[in-house]
Amino acid sequence: MIERWSRDQVLALAPDASSKKGAQSVSGPAKWPVAGVMPDVLWGECKGSGATPYRACVDLADTAYRCSCPSRKFPCKHALGLLLLWSADGVTPADEPPTWVGEWLEQRRARAGRKEGAGPPGADGAASPGPDGTGSPGVDALRPPGAGGAGPPGAGGAGPPGADGSASRSAAGEAAVTDDGAALLGAAGAGPAGAVAGSSADAAARRAAQREERVMAGLAELERWLADQIGQGLAGARRDATARWQELARRLVDAQAPGVAGVVSRLPRVLADEDWPSRLLGEYGLLHLLAVGHRHASGLPGPLRDTIRSRVGFPVSRDDVLAGELVRDVWDVLGRRDDEQDNLTSRRVWLRGRHTGRFALVLSFAPPRQPLDVSLVTGTAVDADLAFYPGASPLRALVATRRGPVPAAPPDGTTVSGALTEIATAVAGDPWTDSWPIVLRPATPARSAGRWLLTDPPSSTPREDGGESPGMPVHPVAGHPWRLLAVSGGRPVTVAAEWTPLGLRPFTAWDEEGRLVVL
Amino acid sequence: MSTVVEWERLVSAALVGVERRPEGDVLGRAAAHVVGMRAGQPPRHGEPLPAAPGEEQAMVPRAAGDRLARILDGEQPRLLPEWLEAAAARGYRLPPELLPQVLDHGARDRSLRAPIGVLAGARGRWLAGLNPAWAYVQDEATPVTVPEPVVTTGTAAPGPPMDLWEYGTRGDRLAYLRTLRRADPAQARELLLQGWAKEGPEDRAAFVNALADGLSMDDEPFLEDALDDRRREVRGQAADLLTRLPGSRLGRRMAARAERCLTLSGDRLVAEPPAECDAAMERDGIRSRAPAGTGQGSWWLQQVVARTPLTFWTGRFGLPPKQIVRLKVEEWPREVRLGWERAVVLQNDPEWARALFAVEPLTDLLAVLPPAERAGQAAELVRGQPVDGQLIMMLGGIPGPWGPALTDAVLDKIVETVGHQPWNLGELTRLAGERADPSGHATAASRSPEPAVQDVADVLRFRHAMLTELGPP
Repeated sequence: MIERWSRDQVLALAPDASSKKGAQSVSGPAKWPVAGVMPDVLWGECKGSGATPYRACVDLADTAYRCSCPSRKFPCKHALGLLLLWSADGVTPADEPPTWVGEWLEQRRARAGRKEGAGPPGADGAASPGPDGTGSPGVDALRPPGAGGAGPPGAGGAGPPGADGSASRSAAGEAAVTDDGAALLGAAGAGPAGAVAGSSADAAARRAAQREERVMAGLAELERWLADQIGQGLAGARRDATARWQELARRLVDAQAPGVAGVVSRLPRVLADEDWPSRLLGEYGLLHLLAVGHRHASGLPGPLRDTIRSRVGFPVSRDDVLAGELVRDVWDVLGRRDDEQDNLTSRRVWLRGRHTGRFALVLSFAPPRQPLDVSLVTGTAVDADLAFYPGASPLRALVATRRGPVPAAPPDGTTVSGALTEIATAVAGDPWTDSWPIVLRPATPARSAGRWLLTDPPSSTPREDGGESPGMPVHPVAGHPWRLLAVSGGRPVTVAAEWTPLGLRPFTAWDEEGRLVVL
Repeated sequence: MSTVVEWERLVSAALVGVERRPEGDVLGRAAAHVVGMRAGQPPRHGEPLPAAPGEEQAMVPRAAGDRLARILDGEQPRLLPEWLEAAAARGYRLPPELLPQVLDHGARDRSLRAPIGVLAGARGRWLAGLNPAWAYVQDEATPVTVPEPVVTTGTAAPGPPMDLWEYGTRGDRLAYLRTLRRADPAQARELLLQGWAKEGPEDRAAFVNALADGLSMDDEPFLEDALDDRRREVRGQAADLLTRLPGSRLGRRMAARAERCLTLSGDRLVAEPPAECDAAMERDGIRSRAPAGTGQGSWWLQQVVARTPLTFWTGRFGLPPKQIVRLKVEEWPREVRLGWERAVVLQNDPEWARALFAVEPLTDLLAVLPPAERAGQAAELVRGQPVDGQLIMMLGGIPGPWGPALTDAVLDKIVETVGHQPWNLGELTRLAGERADPSGHATAASRSPEPAVQDVADVLRFRHAMLTELGPP
């Protein structure tokens, strides 16, 4: 039996603010004269303005949605409204689904069976509400296209941009790529190595070699450029560097090193910091390290080589990832965050394996107002096989096979020193790591010199240092974490957060009673 | 990882350029430093917050909390005050995660603070202590702290509630004083008198007003003294209360002034404003400075009439109120009527209110009438008047829940107005949705298919569900 989701959990599924609003307007029992729920499926008929009601249905086990309305949003407001009603305990349990629900479930099962036989496991081959019309009313709209083998560099280093030959020419080097490798945005086919389909193995090898050469040349230029900057001095950077970084990023895109281009295009952020000379030097140092690392790649251990290649921007195909080792575990869905940048929304969902203790990051990308992956609900747990992208500190993963939901519980966590060790391990494997999930359990909020910290609870720590507990600072962008403070009340809570070099960005908390709060 | 000093040297070399200040392998060392810093981050130390005290109130039911979250997210935002008041009346506390948003609302809108004081619970007060913008919570009454006062007979000191009086928040003390006042007016006054000199001006102003309940001539000496208070609010409140005591010294002094201002001459009244506003008048609550655009004399006249006990006029003219208000007033008719209207509100006199309302239908006067009569009067007015600013204002002054008569009148008015003045409907439908009895949502919905009426029904349905979720008061 699936535990009822909280309102927060349901609303976190909404693709945008207006769907949230719309969902709430159709969440009253009066809107759903017909509604029922069984352990793993929820359905209802929503009274609309038209003569026939919309039929909405949610597969709770697999987190799939269907609605007969013509909305292209996903999940649509009816599915969300129905979930809200269910969340408020407003749906009566039933023994048997109506025919239309039963048929849908059967279709889904049949398709799942076919999929297992044919394509790679977990490939989201189901119809998506895309512009091709497969999302028209009455047709299943199960899951949006999953993230392809590539993502924008904005995804915190976990997702190098640009699939083969589709790197965007934009200065930022952003490339949005769907599963099948078609560029959604940017100058499709701008890269010199254009078409993929139908080419011979020879041609592919030639193209690959060509790319290696270009990248090598581009990074050699980057090394010289960096040395030049250090030679002349960084003092003037605040005045005129932005334009030069744009130019450099553009050339790196041309050199088919979109990952590096992304790092360069994000450099202007550093200048906002009071301590910018120190931070800029650090960033230049890391870029330099990446270029040098790539130059010496042949002598490095395989996983580190993979890390470097992914940071530079070489894509890894979905099939290659799925062909790698699978990690089966009960994965607690810790939380998620959406970022919108340059007409591309990226969604990160963080998971933690209950038995392996491994963290995972599932990334998906879509243009604004297009559906993102909604199959992983914060605070739920799923028994699944995950396939990790290769690298020295593997984090990014694909869901290869979902076996179904498992009763949710607050995730296991660690102390501050445990978390610091986890981060040290991740950075030791991948020196460019600047984002890593952690779970502190238990943690209490604390203050120090005007900044908020998350510390070990006082009782679990020997008080050698004048009553103060070891902690990790909260990122300044989180401001005063009032919601977290309110949930904690100074008592121990479980907090899932994204570690960054500048501080933690908490995203989910579980209070003393295990109640989940999305921060 | 390099030391702080080494790193600073490296940064300054990079700033001026290694061509001018050579340093070996700056970039390689920078990378090593950054990676070392990230991997070798030491823990910071901080002082954990003291834990919030345990809660004594029950948390609002989950569905009710969810609805509050919806309101805070922008759905039916105008119902926030009603939700807060209804939940506070039931003694609930809020789910912690909603506290920051609700406390922010209270910081912006004073009228929400009293219910927030209750709903905050121990967690909310703890949280408010961390943010100066939320400090107001500490002044509000808390829910569990106002026990029935121990009414002592004789001189025995009251029991535990005295702690509350000594150490409670201002809101708690006020609530305690009010409860005690209802139970034993004399004891409440005694309590107030004991520490009066030590109370701060804010507290004195808040506490004087508490005597309104159970007001009698026994309070007169204390209030007369309060007319000399340093704080203007205290003086004004004392004067207002004394005005309601026709036998008070202030009432008599004011009547003596009024006697000179207003005389009956045949079937008409002759008005003459006071020649000056002396110190004695000011002490009795007459403000000497007229607002801009008002003549001094007429301003004083209006205030003297307002502060004169209404019973004085019936005795002096030997006429009932409804005849007095119809007397023709020479020269200053507006000032005299404004004075009476203000007097009715101050002295809460329904008979005079009824008489004056017949002459001029003012919201303030309606408020003095008993609720049933008030709604009846308002319904009649709605049926007879077009939708204009005055009507809206009048309705705005009638607190909910409106009974069926007024609700029906307003819904009919909406249907009637849709045809020719739809742009005027906004406020009317809003008021109807917020004030009509929510249990009448189905009746409202069946009254007309007009979208505006359906909108009203929707809001009523929302409120009905909202109150049902909160449970019986």
